[in-house]
Amino acid sequence: MIQLYGVTKSYEGVPALRKVSFAVDKGEFVFLTGPSGAGKTTLLKILFCAERADEGQIIVQGINAFRLNASNIPYLRRNMGFVFQDYKLLPHKSVFENIALALKVVGAPYGDIERRVYQVLKKVGMEGKRHLTPPKLSGGEQQKIAVARALVNEPQVLLADEPTGNLDPQSGLDVFQLFKDINMKGTTVVVATHDWEMVKKLQRRTITMERGTVTDDGRRAPLRPLPPVSPKAENENKQKKRETGP
Amino acid sequence: MKGYGLFYYIAEAFRGFRANSLVNLLAVGTISMAMFIAVFLMLVFLNVRTAVHSLGDRLEMSVYLKDGLTGQEKDFLLMRIKAEPGVKKTRFFSKTEALALLKNELKGQETLIQGLGENPLPDSYELGLDRQYAEKDRLEALAKTLSGYSGVEDVSYGKQGAEALTSLYKLVTYGGAALAVLLGVAVLFIISNSVRLALYSRRQEIELMQWIGATRGFIRGPFLIEGMMLAMLGSALAVGILAGLFYSLPQDIVLFLSRPNGLDFLPPSVITYIIIGGGLLGLTGGLISVSAFLE
Repeated sequence: MIQLYGVTKSYEGVPALRKVSFAVDKGEFVFLTGPSGAGKTTLLKILFCAERADEGQIIVQGINAFRLNASNIPYLRRNMGFVFQDYKLLPHKSVFENIALALKVVGAPYGDIERRVYQVLKKVGMEGKRHLTPPKLSGGEQQKIAVARALVNEPQVLLADEPTGNLDPQSGLDVFQLFKDINMKGTTVVVATHDWEMVKKLQRRTITMERGTVTDDGRRAPLRPLPPVSPKAENENKQKKRETGP
Repeated sequence: MKGYGLFYYIAEAFRGFRANSLVNLLAVGTISMAMFIAVFLMLVFLNVRTAVHSLGDRLEMSVYLKDGLTGQEKDFLLMRIKAEPGVKKTRFFSKTEALALLKNELKGQETLIQGLGENPLPDSYELGLDRQYAEKDRLEALAKTLSGYSGVEDVSYGKQGAEALTSLYKLVTYGGAALAVLLGVAVLFIISNSVRLALYSRRQEIELMQWIGATRGFIRGPFLIEGMMLAMLGSALAVGILAGLFYSLPQDIVLFLSRPNGLDFLPPSVITYIIIGGGLLGLTGGLISVSAFLE
């Protein structure tokens, strides 16, 4: 689904990525971790063609993004969803309009818009708030709307850059639960995060970066079944542990 | 863009217009001022052109014949003159008629003519010329050709009048064109800046649209329509103000300005061209700003 070979990127001579290579299979859930300045955001931006690599090959859904013509970038992005740390919702538009914009941009028929927006809002549990504007929602709710917007066009790849960076633990948990559900339905998910707690909880492949290089591509870690992350399920787990003892 | 075409762009342009209504109203006002000068000049130009054309319609040339030509020679000459391009009508003016006319013009001073004895005036053909010949060079060329015909003594025409007419026409045409270009550039500048303001006020939305896969055309469309709308509204307002002033002028001033050819307001076809032209300027201004912004 995603392949990178020797990807290098510098900003005014300062290297941000140095010969980064890894691959993500279709349907995988991958964490991208590392300290600030490790190159996680740059890497996501390159995958999304918001930045161009200086060197290397980037294959996304069979398309060589490194050589992609500027006029074709929008078509690549239509098959990818992106969730930002700061949500990037339009404050003067309602929740419905924010999500509908993503459908309008790809030319979805007018008649389908209302139904599809409702469906995706239902998926993230926000259908009751479709007439509100983002400033009237909490951070967690806004991020759910941002996830809904990223999902409304049913992308094959979902990229998220510090999606829980501005959220309280409970809201962060809800957002990761959404990502997990999306991944279960076949969407490849790549999440750049500092949230080690969540990385540990979900136990998925973790690519670790440091100073622009991949120090661990996480291939060695065996995949284990996803533990439930909803608070209710977590409490149940704790209960079971208490019952079974250490 | 499946499902979204002009209708979507127009709806978005109206939304953008409403969202920045104050900036846009100021832009329409500024555009209308620049366009007002343009439409005023257009009014002057069209009226001067009408006057020049009506003068051109009265353009005449006299071909004086040599004495003693036979009727057959005169007919042959007439045939050759009529064959010349630009000659619209001809009238034979005999030496007797010429003398009668002279006598009429010199009423009270007949003694001057009596002293001449025999009628010294020649027969002539008076030619009415096509308005396209209301130009010094063409008149000169025609006079030279006619002078070369056998039986022609001399050819005369209002040389100075023709020169003045040509100069006036050139001044109005080239001066008007130069001013139109200057004003066009001014309107373009105003529109591109108004669209730029609209773009900056919606830069967050534009950036987001790019992130979620909007093509350049999809982003550009509403802003181009908005630029076109601003310019068309500004042009229409300018025409409206000019019409208001024109029709509210006191009648005696209109009559004074009207002499001798009458003063007309811009015909509907010209108003249509002005508004469409304004729209095209708006489209160009919008295109300049949006292209620069999206770069």
